[in-house]
Amino acid sequence: MKLRWTKTTLLLAPATVLAALLFVYPVFGVLKLSVHDGTAFTTDALRQVYNSQLSIIVLQRTFVTAATVTGICLVMGYPMAYFMAGLSPRKRVLATYLILLPFWISILVRTYTWIILLGREGILNKALAALGLTAEPVQLLYTPMAVHIGMVQILLPIVILTCLTSILDVERDLVKAARSLGASPRQAFWKVVFPLSVSGAATGGIICFILCLGFYVTPTLLGGRTSTLIANLIDLQVHKTLKWDLAAVMASTLLAATFSCLLAYWALTRKRSEFATGGLAR
Amino acid sequence: MTMTRRAFGIGTGALAAAFAFKPSFAQDVTIVVNGSGGALATMITKIFEEPFTRDTGIKVRATAPVSLPKLKAMVESGNVEWDLTELNGDDVVTATKAGWLAKIDYSIIDPDNKLPAIAKQPTAMVRASYSTVIAFRTDKFGKGKTPQSWADFWDVKAFPGPRSLENSPKGNLEFALLADGVSPDKLYPLDIDRAFKKLDQLKPHIPVWWTNGAQHVQLLIDGEVSMTSCWNGRITPLRNEGKPVDITFKGGALMLSFLAIPKGAKHPTEAMRFMKARMDPAASAEFVKLVPYPGFVPGMMELLDPAFAATLPTSPENAAVQFEFNSAWWAENLDAVTTRWNEWLLI
Repeated sequence: MKLRWTKTTLLLAPATVLAALLFVYPVFGVLKLSVHDGTAFTTDALRQVYNSQLSIIVLQRTFVTAATVTGICLVMGYPMAYFMAGLSPRKRVLATYLILLPFWISILVRTYTWIILLGREGILNKALAALGLTAEPVQLLYTPMAVHIGMVQILLPIVILTCLTSILDVERDLVKAARSLGASPRQAFWKVVFPLSVSGAATGGIICFILCLGFYVTPTLLGGRTSTLIANLIDLQVHKTLKWDLAAVMASTLLAATFSCLLAYWALTRKRSEFATGGLAR
Repeated sequence: MTMTRRAFGIGTGALAAAFAFKPSFAQDVTIVVNGSGGALATMITKIFEEPFTRDTGIKVRATAPVSLPKLKAMVESGNVEWDLTELNGDDVVTATKAGWLAKIDYSIIDPDNKLPAIAKQPTAMVRASYSTVIAFRTDKFGKGKTPQSWADFWDVKAFPGPRSLENSPKGNLEFALLADGVSPDKLYPLDIDRAFKKLDQLKPHIPVWWTNGAQHVQLLIDGEVSMTSCWNGRITPLRNEGKPVDITFKGGALMLSFLAIPKGAKHPTEAMRFMKARMDPAASAEFVKLVPYPGFVPGMMELLDPAFAATLPTSPENAAVQFEFNSAWWAENLDAVTTRWNEWLLI
């Protein structure tokens, strides 16, 4: 037993040291910068950020965007995963590859693609004009809608794959049992498959949501002035206005808000056995 | 094969000697020069850095991009990587006030005292002059109709289509006041409220606020906007390629770009020798033909074709229709105006 502990400690040590060095230490630095001006503790930066309408609005906007994008990803991703679960294993592998394919392309490239598609002289506007539907080019690019489209495209594969894993984990025999006991296909889905796979969807959703909170490239390239998210605002404070203390407060706030979301998720699901493993392994 | 102890001894001895006697002349020095990178850096390497290394033995390593936060971090941490960096006007004022820049010894750069006084500031030397001007599509407003002023830029009826401006109050406040009828010599101190009120009018017609020089060109070429504020050097190559774009210097902001030495730089003397090389008239003339940002290099203009010299931002005809951007005013007011700008723009 003792030997096992030593072994475990040794094996975990490199990862722990790396995380401590590259994550915990810098995060601590950021936290300190937000309440300490180099000589003494101060709430100056905190007050500046929380009294500024701009940071509050952008923070709100970030969470609303993250929630919307996550919602869209789940609504689009879960049915897709359900469809894939019904395919033969060969076809499912192919479908998985097709979903992973864009995932392997750089976010930057995928985002630029939308500039070509959504631009005033882009493919979509040209098609609309050719069909006689619009007289003037429609402003699609540099709008919140463009940002949502770009983010959904980037995050959808993650949601589909987590949903797929948990749907595949549902015993097929349970569905058969439900059907043989007189459930309609619809009932079998809602009473058996969905409750058993919802934890996977929730895990996919929470991963998606947290990734959304830190999005930077997509709003920068596809968004207009009212698509600025908190990561962009932090960047602005670091690189343009040089107010690193304000940036630190914003980053700390984002971190705290993210942890609160995770905590809320845990509190809501901890009593429910289907969430016990986070939908990852049963 | 085994190496005898004797042979090993001779080998290490020779190696040690080689290190010990390696001359510590300038040949060993590599200065780090920070600039804005890209195509510009390639030209600077070819025209200035390579001949400089040939003449002096001092190697030059170019880095990018220009960043005031990086300068601040370097000087404050005492780990100064750059020996020389490009900076814009108000960055120079800010950095000088904060004590991030070393004093420049002009007896090294300009021993014959030929540089005009405007180019020689205590902590920075003018490297280039450029203009922020109106760039526009020549195919969007009907034949022969081109914007002639910032008032035209604001006139969305006569010149329809989306516009772009830089995501920064610098310059834009001046443009708004010019559009509102303020005369160029009465711009400073800026009437901030009036400028924002004028900007309010144009805000709905600006889908995108550019953040770098490559972006405004792309927006124009892609047809995302039909007019934008623009750095004068970016459009000429495109016009020469036959793209339907042009600029006007009318109402342009004449700006200066500087070279400065960070405080605590490892090779300040070598950096100043490189600054001297950057003021070479023949090399500068060659450079300005490729990048039309002239600066005040003594004797350079005389080497240029007069027809070409007339297209530069500092040519008498062009300088006359522009205003001089006041970096000192901006360094003084940047903080407050930027806060207001961000709230105005991003909410």
